[in-house]
Amino acid sequence: MKKASPFEIFKVFFIIGIQLLGGGYVIVPLMKKYIVEEHQWMKEDELIDYYAMSQCIPGIIAGNISVCAGYRAGGFIGAVAAILGLISTPFVTILILANILVNIVENPIIQNAFYGIRISVIILILITIKDLWGKSINSKFTYTLFLIILSSLLLLNISPAIIIVLSAITAFLYSRIRKGEKYD
Amino acid sequence: MIKLYLLLFYEFTKIGLFAIGGGYSTLPFLYYIQTKYQWFTIDELTNMIAVSNITPGPIGINMATYTGYTTAGIIGSLVSTSAIISIPFIISILMVKLIDKYKTCNAINSIFIGLRPAAVALLTSIGLKLLYKTAYPNTLDIKAIFLFLILILPFSFMKKNPLLIILAGAIGGIIINSF
Repeated sequence: MKKASPFEIFKVFFIIGIQLLGGGYVIVPLMKKYIVEEHQWMKEDELIDYYAMSQCIPGIIAGNISVCAGYRAGGFIGAVAAILGLISTPFVTILILANILVNIVENPIIQNAFYGIRISVIILILITIKDLWGKSINSKFTYTLFLIILSSLLLLNISPAIIIVLSAITAFLYSRIRKGEKYD
Repeated sequence: MIKLYLLLFYEFTKIGLFAIGGGYSTLPFLYYIQTKYQWFTIDELTNMIAVSNITPGPIGINMATYTGYTTAGIIGSLVSTSAIISIPFIISILMVKLIDKYKTCNAINSIFIGLRPAAVALLTSIGLKLLYKTAYPNTLDIKAIFLFLILILPFSFMKKNPLLIILAGAIGGIIINSF
């Protein structure tokens, strides 16, 4: 595996950051092109491994996998260079857009546009739910868990963090009980 | 002001720690922050979601930058962005060090069986709450419901394309409000 300088790593992730539009999975083909094929900082099967692992740990998938690749290519400084490169264009773009938006938001046409965009956002959320549904809710256990969590969320104002921790514990205990059933 | 930065850092570190999966998993947390602190309005939040979707970069990090900026200016955006990547950054590096030892995440897979429905339930509750607030702000908003139905029919059959959906919503919003 080739080793790379922090500046090189920053540059590659800067280019990836400009092109990264959409969900976290968009980063995989980009990384395949730049990291695997162009610079050979990792092999393709390693990229797939890191992608799978990035989903299993806390954080934004695209950020996690960039840190992994940066670390592989250039150690700790490489990891810092990768994440900074990835987020610098998005960061500046957001600040510029936020400023423009604040200034034009009183305009009636813009307000009408955002009236519609708010509905678009709901549709985006609903489509994301549809996409996640099959691989998330596919058994009696997951269906029950979904219904319990959803109804408690609609009735009470619970922190998402508490929901995540409680579900993790529930699933862990459930898998223990299932294992017990199998071997008894 | 310092207290606000610290609160921002705390809340976004929490998001970094607990939002597992795609960028949309940060949404329930932002919604929670909105109800808890009122740093921004629900309308501003949906604007931020839209902008984060159509600008380059990971959606979750974009939303952190935007909410940080709306709440406490440029320093706020630096605080929230670095907070959301701090813990995942450390865990990612540890993961690379350990990945050769444990090739798959079998050990935590059983936990994920429970985390995925939780993530979908969190997202569903936000979708329903936003839908309710849009369709029934004070009285029934027939225009909004009409636009929702017109937009959701074609897009639920298509591959997800945030840019197109947001553009269609913007045009639809301008047309429907000019009557």
